[in-house]
Amino acid sequence: MTNNDKSFNREKNFASAVLYVHNSQQWIGSFLKTVISVMEDNFEYSEIICVNDHSDDGSVGEIKKCAETAEKTSITVVNLSYFHGLEAAMNAGMDLTIGDFVFEFDRTVPDFSEDMIMKVYRRCLEGYDIVSASPDRNDRFTSRMFYAVFDRFSDVSYDMTTESFRILSRRVINRIRSMNKSVPYRKAVYANCGLKTDNIRYDIVGGSGYRRDRKEAKYRSGLAMDVLILFTDMGYRFGKAMTLFMMFMSVFMLVYSVVIYLLKHPVAGWTTTILFLSVSFLGLFGILTIIIKYLQLLVNLVFKRKNYSFESIEKLTGH
Amino acid sequence: MIIVVNCGILDSYLSGNTGGEQLQIMERFDRIIIGAGLYGLYSALYSLKKGLNVLLLESDSGPFKRATYINQARVHQGYHYPRSLSTAIRSAGYFERFNRDYDFCINREFEQIYATSSQYSWTDGEQFREFCKAAGIPCKELSPGNYFKPGMCDGAFLTREYTYDAGILKDYFLDKLKEYDGSFKVKYGAVITGTDRSDDSYIIRESDGSEYSSSFVLNASYAGINQVLKLAGADGFDIKYELCEIILCEVNDVLKDTGFTVMDGPFFSIMPFGKTGYHSLTSVTFTPHSTSYERLPVFDCQNGSGGFCTRERLGNCNDCPAKPETAFPYMSSLAGKYLLDDYRFTYRGSLFSMKPILLSSEIDDSRPTVIRVLSESPTFVSVLSGKINTVYDLDEVLDSDQ
Repeated sequence: MTNNDKSFNREKNFASAVLYVHNSQQWIGSFLKTVISVMEDNFEYSEIICVNDHSDDGSVGEIKKCAETAEKTSITVVNLSYFHGLEAAMNAGMDLTIGDFVFEFDRTVPDFSEDMIMKVYRRCLEGYDIVSASPDRNDRFTSRMFYAVFDRFSDVSYDMTTESFRILSRRVINRIRSMNKSVPYRKAVYANCGLKTDNIRYDIVGGSGYRRDRKEAKYRSGLAMDVLILFTDMGYRFGKAMTLFMMFMSVFMLVYSVVIYLLKHPVAGWTTTILFLSVSFLGLFGILTIIIKYLQLLVNLVFKRKNYSFESIEKLTGH
Repeated sequence: MIIVVNCGILDSYLSGNTGGEQLQIMERFDRIIIGAGLYGLYSALYSLKKGLNVLLLESDSGPFKRATYINQARVHQGYHYPRSLSTAIRSAGYFERFNRDYDFCINREFEQIYATSSQYSWTDGEQFREFCKAAGIPCKELSPGNYFKPGMCDGAFLTREYTYDAGILKDYFLDKLKEYDGSFKVKYGAVITGTDRSDDSYIIRESDGSEYSSSFVLNASYAGINQVLKLAGADGFDIKYELCEIILCEVNDVLKDTGFTVMDGPFFSIMPFGKTGYHSLTSVTFTPHSTSYERLPVFDCQNGSGGFCTRERLGNCNDCPAKPETAFPYMSSLAGKYLLDDYRFTYRGSLFSMKPILLSSEIDDSRPTVIRVLSESPTFVSVLSGKINTVYDLDEVLDSDQ
């Protein structure tokens, strides 16, 4: 408590920060230092949880070295047993947090300026349960494609984009916990949670030269496909469209084969073969549509357990 | 150099520098016991009942000033060891006996609820139930949703576990010991400076020049155990030291008659603290403030204690000028994350004490009390245990020297 002015201004809310660490020896040191100083300067009480996703470089050593510089904040490392990928790792960290507000840092590469962290926090206090920060630049082509498809085929209002970190209130964390048995993709779950969210864009400062390692890149492309299947009705809509098209084709073939039979006298058996094929494909696509619908219902039951999710309750008349 | 053992309060080391200049007659006792915690007082009384005369040396200004008083005050029945059935069964046996013998200081008037966390627990609800059945200890399944926030716990159980009141227990022992006025001597503020061994006895020297001899010395100084052993020229136990904080809370009526223990992982406990009317709040991650892995305790805060606490002489953390700031904000956030908002508690104060923990290589699960005999005739025995109701493990030691 050397600087009294500073400590008076500290937030009384308890803040937690979860950091995803996977082979980021090069970055984690300076990044953790930044987070420590932001936490200690701005919050009376805070904790930092580093989720080490099976790093095989010196990341953990860097964390330990940095942790010694912390004065008040509590620093914990969760070491995962094998490579889990960002989503499961962050869930592990999230389950350990005790703060009223929780920061999630998906990347340890700080391409934003320090004051962004508090900016996001203050926006959260304005009444947004989730506030995310995104770099102000064009996403990579693959990311753009993914978000475009996601937004097109899901019915949530949350405008998904690349995010480097976000803050969540305890209220939204509790709601997510009661809504979902597991959280395969946080952003989609956050988008579905039904509380007010906001996004802040920031100018990129530094952070160049960052490369995802192979494991992470592979994980991300796999995740993208899973997410589209799980959280959008893309599969169902595609299936339905295909069925309709194929049904139309089958009907056309039916008519076509009858016409040919009457006019051109084709080789024996041709008409029956085509008739049979058309009818069976018609049926097959019908069955497939039903199966896809079934699977989608199951997915919804697992990942969206609550029947409804509300943003707030307003009482308009009082006594 | 003056070496003070098991730490003294201020007056004990102000009087310390007289060396051996005063000539005193060496007093002889049948037994010398070092440390006036429960284990020390129990041993003293046990020996006195056998007709022996006993000297009890304590560095604090009174008995029960450290670990006996500063802990969760839990009378264990084994619920804490869902992964060590043998320890559980042993605790359960002592549980009945302790409650019978010290009935007057036991608080039974509350419901002790054990719960297993959905995440990060080494044991889940199902396993805990099976374990209780196997250990033969009562446990009734409850609905976690009645006590905990949605999704936080996958099992909640009503258990039979009590809490003891160290203050009442202390008065009882002091009363009993008074009956042996002629054969019992206790010295508070005692600062041991050295230990010598002769053919048939140990000689304990004190900083005020007093010397005592006995053919039986019991080292029951808990966190000071290695420091006493060092004075006797012996190797210490393989232990680590944790500087621990027990928080006392005032609670609302909803929580008053309930204790919660979310167990087997980085969780917390809030439960009645004896009969004081307060609840103790502790957590696995935030109760230990710092740890020392040295044979003798080395902590950064010792530098700030102005000589009150050193590697050779542990001060009473609770009286230390350099004791840490409370971790209440952390522990209360953790408890608040789990408990329903109806349960409210407010900070009343903190108690700090040093806790020695046997390193895993030393831990014998079937026997949480470690007794180490340095020598026989003359006898020097050290005892280290982390639980109050395993005090009966001492009986065999105290009966051995007949």
